[in-house]
Amino acid sequence: MKKIVITGMGVVTAIGDSVESFWESNLKGKSGLRLEDRMDLSALPCGWVAGVVPEEIKSVIKARWGNSNHAWGDILMHAALDQALTDAKFAGGLKRPAGLAWARVWPGPSGSFPQDYVDHMRESGERHKAVGDQPGDIVSYLRQKPKPESLESSDLSAFPTELSEKLGVPLIASKLDATCSGGLRSLVEATRLLRMGVVDFAVVSAVVSRSNHYTLSQYAQLMALSRWKNPPQQASMPFDKRRTGMVINESSGALVLETEEHARARGVRESYAEVGGWGLAVDTVHLTAPRVEMVERVIRTALEQSKLTPDDIDTVNAHGTSTRLNDVTESKALHRVFGERMKTLDVCAVKSLTGHGSAASGILETVISALTLCRGVIPPVVTCTQPDPECNVKTSLTPVRRPVNAVLKNSFGFGGQYASIVFKRPEMARA
Amino acid sequence: MEHIVLTGVGMMSAAGTGAGPVLDAMASGTHFFNVEHPGKRSLHPRFPWPEASLKEPNVPWPEGGAWPDIKKYANDSAHQAVAVGRMAIAQSGMADEASAIRCGAVMASGNRSDELAPLMGRLGLLAQTDPRPLAKLLFDEVPDYSYLRGIPCQIGQFVCLATGFRGSNVAHYGEAGASGLGALSFAKRMLEHEELDRVIVVGVGIPLPPQMLVALDRHNPLGTEAIPGRGPFDVGRAGTLLGHAAVALIIERESVARARGAATLGTLLSCESINATSSPAALAVATQRALEFAGRTPQFWWAHGAGSVSADLAECQTVAPLVRGPTTGTKGTIGNTGEAAGLVDVVLAAEALRRGQIPPVGLLQKPDPALGDIDFVVGKPRAVPPGRGTALVTALDSRAECAGAAVIGM
Repeated sequence: MKKIVITGMGVVTAIGDSVESFWESNLKGKSGLRLEDRMDLSALPCGWVAGVVPEEIKSVIKARWGNSNHAWGDILMHAALDQALTDAKFAGGLKRPAGLAWARVWPGPSGSFPQDYVDHMRESGERHKAVGDQPGDIVSYLRQKPKPESLESSDLSAFPTELSEKLGVPLIASKLDATCSGGLRSLVEATRLLRMGVVDFAVVSAVVSRSNHYTLSQYAQLMALSRWKNPPQQASMPFDKRRTGMVINESSGALVLETEEHARARGVRESYAEVGGWGLAVDTVHLTAPRVEMVERVIRTALEQSKLTPDDIDTVNAHGTSTRLNDVTESKALHRVFGERMKTLDVCAVKSLTGHGSAASGILETVISALTLCRGVIPPVVTCTQPDPECNVKTSLTPVRRPVNAVLKNSFGFGGQYASIVFKRPEMARA
Repeated sequence: MEHIVLTGVGMMSAAGTGAGPVLDAMASGTHFFNVEHPGKRSLHPRFPWPEASLKEPNVPWPEGGAWPDIKKYANDSAHQAVAVGRMAIAQSGMADEASAIRCGAVMASGNRSDELAPLMGRLGLLAQTDPRPLAKLLFDEVPDYSYLRGIPCQIGQFVCLATGFRGSNVAHYGEAGASGLGALSFAKRMLEHEELDRVIVVGVGIPLPPQMLVALDRHNPLGTEAIPGRGPFDVGRAGTLLGHAAVALIIERESVARARGAATLGTLLSCESINATSSPAALAVATQRALEFAGRTPQFWWAHGAGSVSADLAECQTVAPLVRGPTTGTKGTIGNTGEAAGLVDVVLAAEALRRGQIPPVGLLQKPDPALGDIDFVVGKPRAVPPGRGTALVTALDSRAECAGAAVIGM
């Protein structure tokens, strides 16, 4: 079977706009969570905190990648993509179509920012005042408006076209929705294309930016968000007994994957990780709640497909959302698979610092998994200061230094989504 | 590589249920634009664009088991997806416990609509005077579960419940969708990679909200007349005519179908979806690859045939040099059904091969000479030997520089 390796990585997050700064923040336990003070959320029962890319980073990114053809989500994707291509030392010369697997979490018909939603509501109200709610009248009204359609209103993006231009070849592209497992699902699709020999070189990208009134109000309806009222940096606390829900974030990640043979042929011998096997599943018992049996199944499948046993796994990069149900469900499944080893198996939960970036989280957490393999350091979970005995997983408040040859990465999501994947230390790991 | 075969189909369109009524309508020159069906929700007579709406739009939700409890999470797309999924599985056979985790679903239905679109005007007006902060107003006023109802793969979860498929669920759509052929090519890869044994691919093309229609019309004018001489490829064509449909296909490796004794409705010899710097460039690569991988010369071409001046020209200039033979298309009869369109065409092409009859293009009277020397089927069906042969199906999205091509055979 062809070896598939990660040769380039890029990120834009609340705690780093480069892979190195993101990694350093993870090791230092630097939180990107803050009170979401761009809108009045005080009357919501939860969800007052978010992981938002700082304004100074936004300005830099917007100046470089912003144009009239790019919605904010596109800008974030391009920023991470260009990092990944540079990191992979990509210099053109592809001879066959390339792969693209991506997940762009749609912020809704208004746009990514709170003010977008305010404008959207105001315009909708004005329209209603003018013509009411009959579709035919709305069409007549809108056709007279000079304003073009908002870039994000149709959930369409020029990203594949622009990537095709950048790479100089057509793309075999998949835009995927698998809710919060969409990042890992995209990575799996890129690996599949490479393993099957359909392409030699592939890009994986995922982005989320939807901290607006609508998204927060809807997650609040589901009571899925954190109700933590103390320092916001503590609001996301996977596996801590005080956890009250997740924190949504704004983030983007990109990976370059290729066959080891292709990477070597273009002079790239070192890589971050080798993609092992994966397990995927859909559950139809509940629309939003995870089940232990399903998590266990995808983990076991990932191990089996990787030709590894539980003893071969050195650390788990958990889904770890900080919701009551996810963390205990994931933990129970880990105990079923790893048994007594759970006492010594280090578990990492990146969302403790970043919050939850839906599909983008799978990519950001893959970046951390890959660096864990290369550098032999498992980042801490600094918000887990009162470990939940019901979870009973081994997290650390400081980085754990040890050789790591295999990482198990989990992602789950609404819609009965389950994905687990194994990453292995490559023969020649990037320093 | 082992063949991928089609073992189950479900379809709902303006013509009714299944592929047969569409082919019959095409053969007789019937179209369904702005036709009032009994019991149907009212059309929008003040829309400037005619639409071919579902003949039976009030799709019942299944009864028994978990279905009544989860109905609150289901929108119109979910109702239609479940209905066609159940039709397909009735033909192909349910997955049993042992095989369930080797079966998966791929949805070709994206965020084309907005769950709140019908409410936004009222909510916007309310927000102008209501003292509540906007987030709180939305928290209170937006119907429960609206956010979940709009998630594409959430619909796939319903399809999995309807089919017993438990191995995988993902939506493949949008810029890489190519009218459903992107989803079909993705599903085919999962079978060829032997991760799964069977996959159901479901496309749903629903009525679009006014905002989306206006945006589409601005990008490339939509058709305003559904009369003879305004159909795809006609010298008088003047824009895509809209339609709604839902379609499901179950595909599997031939050995799996044979082992469980499933009847084969067709063979998916190839299916490619490509993004490039322009939609003609994408279509050229997709078609070349589809023909190369199929290894057979198609007897006829089932074209995308959007009916727009520019898209038909681009499609014909790109594909005609690569394939000869009679050429037809669906959109002059049931309209452009969005994410469902390419999948609808695959199903119709397979059924046309089985019948041995290629139907004419709806509303096509006088082929545009600018499209080149293409053998369009005009006016009456063309006979071919039944039960054999192959057909090329193409799809393109001029808004997203994406295209797909598939070769289906008996």
